[in-house]
Order: sequence, then structure tokens, then C-alpha cells
Amino acid sequence: MSIRVTFRGVRGSIPVPGPTTVRYGGNTACIELRFGVEDRLIIIDAGSGIRELADIIMKKDLPRGPIKTKIFLTHTHWDHIMGFPFFTPIFIPGTEIDVYGPVTYEEDTLDRIVGDQLRYRYFPVRIEELRAKISYYQLKEGNIDLGGGLTVTTKYLNHPILVLGYRFEYEGKVFCTAYDHELFRNVFDVKPEDPGYDPAAVKEGEIAAREENDKVRAFYKGADLLVHDTQYTHKEYLAGKTGWGHSSYEWAINQAHRAGVKHLVLFHHDIARSDDQLEALLAGYTASIKGKSPLTVSVAQEGKTIEI
Amino acid sequence: MQDKEKILAIIQTYISKMPSLPITVSKILQIANDPKTSPSDLNQVISLDPVLMGRVMKLINSAYYSLNNQITSLVRAIIMLGINTVKNLALSTAVLGQLSAKGNFQALNIDGFWRHSLCVGVTAKQIAVKRRKDPKQLEEYFVAGLLHDIGKIPLNNKLSAEYVNALALTDKERAPLYLLEERVMEVNHCEVGRLIIKNWNLGPVMEDVVFFHHFLDSYPGANRDVLLTVAAANFFANTFQIGFSGDRYPEKLPASVFEELGITLDDLEGMEDRVSGEIEKAKIFLSVSQ
Repeated sequence: MSIRVTFRGVRGSIPVPGPTTVRYGGNTACIELRFGVEDRLIIIDAGSGIRELADIIMKKDLPRGPIKTKIFLTHTHWDHIMGFPFFTPIFIPGTEIDVYGPVTYEEDTLDRIVGDQLRYRYFPVRIEELRAKISYYQLKEGNIDLGGGLTVTTKYLNHPILVLGYRFEYEGKVFCTAYDHELFRNVFDVKPEDPGYDPAAVKEGEIAAREENDKVRAFYKGADLLVHDTQYTHKEYLAGKTGWGHSSYEWAINQAHRAGVKHLVLFHHDIARSDDQLEALLAGYTASIKGKSPLTVSVAQEGKTIEI
Repeated sequence: MQDKEKILAIIQTYISKMPSLPITVSKILQIANDPKTSPSDLNQVISLDPVLMGRVMKLINSAYYSLNNQITSLVRAIIMLGINTVKNLALSTAVLGQLSAKGNFQALNIDGFWRHSLCVGVTAKQIAVKRRKDPKQLEEYFVAGLLHDIGKIPLNNKLSAEYVNALALTDKERAPLYLLEERVMEVNHCEVGRLIIKNWNLGPVMEDVVFFHHFLDSYPGANRDVLLTVAAANFFANTFQIGFSGDRYPEKLPASVFEELGITLDDLEGMEDRVSGEIEKAKIFLSVSQ
């Protein structure tokens, strides 16, 4: 198996431990990727789930030599970086970590945004005291050759700040992330009686939104595994969550089907979503696409590994 | 007089924190501070401020730089960046305008400059419509027209005394403003404009329009269509005296421009009511009301 994907955090917003999340997990976003026979490690996002991953790395990887890895941040919202100070390898001499991610339009650089969590006001250890070598690389849209036959392509998604989706390709297999992401929509499409109604903008906005959504689908086209934002049901989305930067299950399934994705993993669960609800939703959606789409759908679960 | 290097250094420093026009500041603040702002209001107020328009375009194009496809539509920029991001940017640009409003626009009349810029944008778009250009390109014509004189803002605001002098000389000598700018300040607004467009990373079309709009004969490049359209719109604004940006005695537009565009002076004349109407509508929109 070429790529092994293990979910270490599947939740959005903030960690939610407790009896209703114990089966699927309460940690925020973190995905462990392992490539090929050499078990090369790449991490996506440093949400609270990265703490447990750190323990595993310390046991499994450190005895084989100093930790050398790359962390790809989808964006810098707190639920995606909050685990960074608890990623134990940063305290180990000899560790080398490359941190990649997009930066929103403020002046601050990635090392400030992520590293500033390690200041006395937030945390007892300062970034200057770390023994690891940490390098930061600001990403835009593009393609990077990571060596050893592994490449990653980045694509901007739709969220209140800049977010990148990642497409990893290795030995002919494709793994993609599309979170946090809301479908692009025509924000100019208001009722004709609305004071801000502008027919030209409505028309242009429609084309723009459609084209941007086409680009996102083209980005994850034919993926063997796609991890997609599905924070809401469509009903919840329409009832006050529009513009929050997250997708509905219905959208994600529809888009993944249209893009010819083989396996879609529902991800970035809402903090109020219980394990029972997740299972009921999956059963419902699986039944509704049965016989209509070859798409496999599953729910992201902490600790679960999917091999492609 | 200070030497050219010094002047360019002053201008470069200014460009990075160039404020909105005082005329649009209050409306921008009102719209950007309103949590229920509609995208159309945001679209409209940005369309009326050359500096803010340039900054939004810079943002979208620097974020998406590696894509290598220039985005010149504000509607698309708002959809891609999101309303909140654009609102925050508008707010920060307007606040700069609020801080620096005093003492600015000593030489050029602000209302005249604003009307002229808007007139050239609206007219350039109208000409493009008349010439049946692809609807997806119309915004580009508008933005190019709106921004064509952007280089006058730093000259006017940072070298006010010199600019007053240059304007006085145009009247005295009945000569085009850019020539007097060069004589008094070593640089003209086309050159300064190009610095701004480069700083904002707005791409070759905007750069060429801003840099060559008084030098059509020497233009070697591929963006001739937009350039000539803006030059014709500029000629229209000056001839029909809609707004005023200091150029009372511009050079005559070569007749070949009309031929090349396939339009006539009558066509432009026919646009006057529509263009004036759009500017008045904008003026009413900008008058802050609760």
C-alpha cells in the first residue's frame, strides 16, 4: 500500500471530549500520512490531535533516528495550530521540522503566527528555547516536489481566511484534503427588490462562483481518497451558517461524486455532533446514493487508518 | 529642486500607505462598519475609489500570484476573498484616509479629480460595451479608466507646493500637465502611476494604460485595445469637462485612435448623459445617510 492515512483529530473549532464523542473522537484537525515502505511521515494540521501523534512518533520513529518531518497547515485558524506547542518532537535536539502553510493578508509571517503560541503569556516554554530546528515556508497555489516520488499540489479554498487544500500524489495514488471549505457562492444573488440588486454583478458573480467551484473539483478530480469539510447538514447550513466557510454533507458528496473521487471521508465534525448522529447521518447518505454512485463514503474517526 | 532619486524615494514610501480619497472615506467607513453590509454596497463603494480598488486588486492578485492569471474583476475578487476580508481592507484604507485627509489635495481639487477618474472609468466601459467586447472583460476597461491618473495622487499629496506650481504653469503656458510635471518635479504622473501599479502587482494591462496613456505613439505592446479606449475616454472627459484633473490643455488625440477603435466623436457625445448620470448616482450614494 502506497499511502497510509491515519486520523489523529477530526473535529472543528475546539476539542470536545466527552461521552458523546468518545467513539469518533473530540480532538481538532490532525492527519498523519505515511508513505511507502520507508514509512515516510508527513503531517497535515497541528490541531489538538497532534499531541497523541507526538507520543506515537516518540515511540515508533525516534528510536530509528532524529525526527525529520513536514507539517502542512491548511490554514492558521486556532483549531488547526493549537496542538503545535504540545508536539513533543519540537523539544528534542536533532529534530528537523518544515512547517508549510498559507498566510492571510496580515503582515505577520507563518513563524510568528504559529510560533507566537510559545510565549510566556500562553505557554511556559518560549519558542527560542526549543531544541529542534524548525523552518517555515509560506505557500501559495502551486506544485512542490517533495522528493522520493512524492509531490503536493495546493489549491485555495473558500473560507474567511486563506485556506489551502492539498493534493498528495505518490506511486500513482492520490490523497486530497478540501477543508475548511464552503462552496463558492454568488454573494451578489439577492432578490430584485433588494436595494443592492445589480443584475450585471449577479450575472458575473454566478459565472465566477461556478468557475471557482469547477477549479476545486478539478483539483481533487479522480482522488483515491478525499477528506472534505462536512461540518453541517444542508438544513443547518441554510439555517444561519451561510458564509461561515464550511460545507454540508450533501454538497461534499455531490461534488466528490462529480469529480470521480473513489473514497470520500467526512471530516471537520461540528462540535455538537454526537457519535450516534454521525452514524445515523452516514447510514442515511450511504443509502441515498446506493446504486447511483460508485463513491464510497465514510466518517473520519480518530485513530482509524485508511490505506490506498 | 530635489533630484529625481529623492523624489522617487518619497513617492515609494508614500505608495505603501496611500489613503482612500477623502470623498469616499465616510461612506467606506459606514459600509465597512455595518455588519449587515450587502456585497453590492461594498462593490459599489470600492468601484468609486481608485486607491481602494487598486488595493483590493493587489490583494487578490498577490494571494493568487502563482496562478499567473490576473484577476481584474471586483465582483470575482469579493467572491474569492470573502466579504469580511474585503471589508477589513476597505476599513484600513479608509482609516488612512481619515488620518491624512487634512492638508491633502491642495493643488488638485479632490471632487474634480474623483469625477474625472470615475468619468474615464465609466466611459471606457461604455466604449467597450459599444464595441461589443466580451462581457467578462468590461470590468477591466472600467478599472483601467478609474486608475489611469492614479500617479497624480502621490505628486499632489506629497509634493503639494511643486504640484501647485506645475498646475499654474499649465495655465500660463497652455501646455499638457505631464510636461510641466516633468519640468517641475523630474517625474510625470505616468511614471509615478507605473510605480504604484508595480507595487500593487496589477499586471501588464494596467501598467501599460497608466504609463502610456499620454504616449500612444510610442506604445509597442499588446494591450493597445484597452490603452486606446482609456485614451479616448480621457479625451472625452477633458472635452466635455466632466470633472477636472489638472489637464486643461491636453495634447490632441490623434484621429487614428477613433479609426482604430471604430468609434466616432458622435458615439462619445451620445454617452454623455449616461456617464453624467452614473457620476451623479455615485455622488448621491457617497453622501452618507443612515
